[in-house]
Amino acid sequence: MSSDIALNDEIILEVRNLSVSFSRGGKEMKAVDDVSFSVAAGETLGLVGESGSGKTTIGRAILRLLPDANTKSEGAVRYKKTYLNTLSSTDMRHMRDRLQMIFQDPLSSFNPRRNVEDIVAEGLVIQGKPASERKSRVEAALSAVGFDLATVAGRKPHQFSGGQCQRIAIARSLAVEPELIVCDEPVASLDVSVQAQVINLLQDIRENRNLALIFISHDLAVVKNVSDRVAVLYMGRIVEIGTGPQIYERPAHPYTRTLLEAVPVVDATRKIEPDGKRTVMPSRNRPQGGCAFRSRCPRATQICAETVPAVTPAPRGQMVACHHPHDEPAPGMAVRTQR
Amino acid sequence: MDATPASHPILSCKAMTCEMDSVSGPLQILQDINFSLDTRRALGIVGESGAGKSMLIKAIMGIAPRGLRTKGRIELDGQDLSALKPKQRAKLIGRKVGIVFQNPMSSLNPFVQIGRQIEEAGCIHLGMSKAEARSRAIELLSFVGLPDPEDCYNYYPHQFSGGMKQRIMIAAALICQPDLLIADEATTALDVTVQKEVLDLLQTIQAQRQMSMILVSHNLGVVAGRTDEILVLYGGNVVEYGPTSEVFRNPRHRYTEALLSAMPAMDQPAHTRLRTIPGQPPNLANRPAGCPFAPRCPSAQAKCHEVMPAMSAGVHPSHRFACHFPLAEIAHVQ
Amino acid sequence: MTDIGNSPAFKPGPNAKLGDIVRHAMPWSSKMKLPGATPFEFLAAIFLVLLVLVALFVDFIPGLVSPKLPYGDFSQLPEWSLNGLFGTDDIGRSIFSRVLYGARTSMMIVAVSTTIALVSGLLLGMLAGYYRGIFERAVDLFANALAAMPSTLVVLAFVAVTGPSVVTIIVVLGIFDIGTYARVAKAGVISQSNRDYVLAARAMGATDSRVLLKEILPNLIPALTAVMPTLMAGLIITEGSLSFLGYGIPAPAPSWGGMIASSTDLLSRFPVLIVGPILAIVLTVYAFNTIGDYLAQRLNNRERES
Ligand SMILES: Nc1ncnc2c1ncn2[C@@H]1O[C@H](COP(=O)(O)OP(=O)(O)OP(=O)(O)O)[C@@H](O)[C@H]1O
Ligand SMILES: Nc1ncnc2c1ncn2[C@@H]1O[C@H](COP(=O)(O)OP(=O)(O)O)[C@@H](O)[C@H]1O
Ligand code: SF4
Ligand code: SF4
Ligand SMILES: [Mg+2]
Ligand SMILES: [Mg+2]
Repeated sequence: MSSDIALNDEIILEVRNLSVSFSRGGKEMKAVDDVSFSVAAGETLGLVGESGSGKTTIGRAILRLLPDANTKSEGAVRYKKTYLNTLSSTDMRHMRDRLQMIFQDPLSSFNPRRNVEDIVAEGLVIQGKPASERKSRVEAALSAVGFDLATVAGRKPHQFSGGQCQRIAIARSLAVEPELIVCDEPVASLDVSVQAQVINLLQDIRENRNLALIFISHDLAVVKNVSDRVAVLYMGRIVEIGTGPQIYERPAHPYTRTLLEAVPVVDATRKIEPDGKRTVMPSRNRPQGGCAFRSRCPRATQICAETVPAVTPAPRGQMVACHHPHDEPAPGMAVRTQR
Repeated sequence: MDATPASHPILSCKAMTCEMDSVSGPLQILQDINFSLDTRRALGIVGESGAGKSMLIKAIMGIAPRGLRTKGRIELDGQDLSALKPKQRAKLIGRKVGIVFQNPMSSLNPFVQIGRQIEEAGCIHLGMSKAEARSRAIELLSFVGLPDPEDCYNYYPHQFSGGMKQRIMIAAALICQPDLLIADEATTALDVTVQKEVLDLLQTIQAQRQMSMILVSHNLGVVAGRTDEILVLYGGNVVEYGPTSEVFRNPRHRYTEALLSAMPAMDQPAHTRLRTIPGQPPNLANRPAGCPFAPRCPSAQAKCHEVMPAMSAGVHPSHRFACHFPLAEIAHVQ
Repeated sequence: MTDIGNSPAFKPGPNAKLGDIVRHAMPWSSKMKLPGATPFEFLAAIFLVLLVLVALFVDFIPGLVSPKLPYGDFSQLPEWSLNGLFGTDDIGRSIFSRVLYGARTSMMIVAVSTTIALVSGLLLGMLAGYYRGIFERAVDLFANALAAMPSTLVVLAFVAVTGPSVVTIIVVLGIFDIGTYARVAKAGVISQSNRDYVLAARAMGATDSRVLLKEILPNLIPALTAVMPTLMAGLIITEGSLSFLGYGIPAPAPSWGGMIASSTDLLSRFPVLIVGPILAIVLTVYAFNTIGDYLAQRLNNRERES
């Protein structure tokens, strides 16, 4: 169990056996399947996985932002001493100043008709804070992301670049002084140069305010940079969870290795030799028995088709759901250098 | 095709400039682009969003938005494109160049069987018969790695995943047996694992069919290790151009170097501070007089704000860059 | 004043020139902000502005005779004077004056019916789009039922029972448009509630009513304004038909449809008497539809950009 316990003992968020299924056109689809993890104060947990693996769904399930109409969720989400999943919607609304979210496309997360200071003040207005307090907190939040209220006041979101918009979105979350922010692919729509600014900014804020972050991304290099611990998702399940070094240096799950090998890295000395592999994605509506990864897995054996692998401690301390986990360093990872 | 072992340029651009009118005055979208791509070689074009990568490709292909004024000389397989009538030019490009765009959803017609969409260009440009085109399409579908190509021929786009659709687009681009394959952000919308497969496929095809290839991406990692040369665009200018391994080993232009160090690397420990590039790309309607990167460049000096740096070569003669104060040359270890 | 709408004096040549002429002749019109409008769309907008002004201030037009009192004799040909422009009707009233007063009747019906339809349609559509489920099914059923009914006939039947009165006409016409507004509002809410900014507001702790009224509603306005002119054109036509059939605005109040009806007896001998009211209906419907197309086009462009 060692690595699932967060680095320091003050766990603020605990997710236990979370499952979410969506009904679509009469069919049920399990988007998240029996996921458990915890996050400590001031800690960053990275969530990685391919698109459709359930990253966004987990983030939204924690914050109770999934559509009620076609969603069923089970399991428990505990924030400090409160079980969020059983709160009434009014009580949940009162929790929202402590739990915040940042979205992938900052521009579409703003009401196009508002100006910047109203966007940043939104949470405070909803909480009913008096106007005088609002102004000073908006100013503080904007300056935390490097803006000066006087110079940006009155401008509409579309007058800002992508990176600036994402900084405004961060300011909006910070204004309510949360303790945990779910960041759903916050840099995926940004250019490298701007991405670096936003990542640095998130790191500063995390350190200064002892914020916990759940950082969702499909970019393994970005996740490595920002996360203390990393959870790897495959088809709605956590297949591996551990500290950054455990996951990146000695990944135990074959899927983690597949992901790491596919990361495009800048390496002047390496000429890539193409291999002709082609993955067949298994269907999500008709899940196969056994390990979900087995149709793509080079290590699959008979037992993988029969039993779903349980999450167990791997030799290096991380938790892994695999019958035949790896225990050697990832090839090339140790020697692979930037340039 | 194999009769000419010595490579010659399949595509070259000389002093190419593109301009377009907008509400805020004329936009200098591309300025003085020079490059040349030899047969059987792969070129990577990189740059941030808005740098002009797609416009460069569209201007070459003659599919730029209306109102774009292109000057300069573009040669495809030795023929000056601007000397041709639009119809002839479209025909030449259609036969010699295959292109794959970023978004397969918007490039494929949702109501037409994918097999027919693959055949289309072949029937138009090569005058293939129906049966011939069909067998070619099926052959290509299996070549790009689709299972049961004969069945797939009759399927509609929505029956495929994003990666599969991108393979289908590649098959469609190959129907005329082009000499040049262009992929504009062809893998950007895909998952890393699928992206790797599609890039591998492109590279394999290029080698097998002895084609030239242009890989356009904002991700430097995508072109690294898969291209022979690389062209770095910034604000519509070529700032660095040379052998890929040289440029990555020893970037000389300040922008290239800044871009490389802004990328989080897999060998850095967690919470490493990244180098940022403050400021924003130039406003194309109102470019600075000197180096386009000067307002953001930490090494900029007075000269940079006044004089536009020209392309000059380093020790490696084919490694060229436009910087007044380039980074130092690093000697080859060997 | 009337030659703005029936613009033969401008001889519309190449489009750009027409626009220049309009802008030159009416410098104030350049204050109207219609980005990307063609000259015809521009003219349509001017026509509608004038129509509203006439409807509001027709009492103050100098020299205009009463629409209810005899002015001349229908057997006289139209003369080049303000009141005689379209001739006089069967009991000698100035048709020109009645056309202008008819504009007031039509505009009043359009304004009140649209308000009724818009407010109720918006409310139903927003509930249906946000809460889905049973709300959605009920609203769909209601909207489809309305769409399936031949509105003129049903209104006719209704008025035949209750007797023609302005209030009945306005209310019934308004009810018929509720379905369309509800549908547009519902579609808008459904597409907007999947946007991140709505999720963001909910993540901030906004209540449903705040999300609906403050976040979503302002973003429904463009789509609603784009369908509004077309529906308004429909109102003009339905009201005209009803009055023509004698079930519309009760005489002696001037209405365009009623005027056409009363001129039919004299039509074979004095066809010119029908020109005024017909022109009024055709130009108004044309102007509403042109503006509707323009707004829909602009909405389309804006959505494609975002
Ligand atoms: N239709 C157009 N009208 C006016 N300007 C345009 C048009 N299309 C592109 N531009 C401008 O031309 C410049 C280059 O655009 P281009 O699409 O080539 O960028 P890119 O490098 O491909 O970026 P991305 O990575 O976002 O695809 C940008 O400043 C862009 O705003
Ligand atoms: N509102 C929804 N209704 C139905 N299916 C959904 C909904 N949201 C997500 N899904 C499905 O759930 C799966 C997981 O989605 P998501 O959590 O968004 O993945 P990720 O963020 O990892 O890309 C996907 O197959 C997706 O199509
Ligand atoms: S359980 Fe078996 S199939 Fe699944 S990842 Fe492990 S070795 Fe592969
Ligand atoms: S020319 Fe000057 S401003 Fe431009 S990149 Fe080189 S050093 Fe920087
Ligand atoms: Mg997602
Ligand atoms: Mg592009």
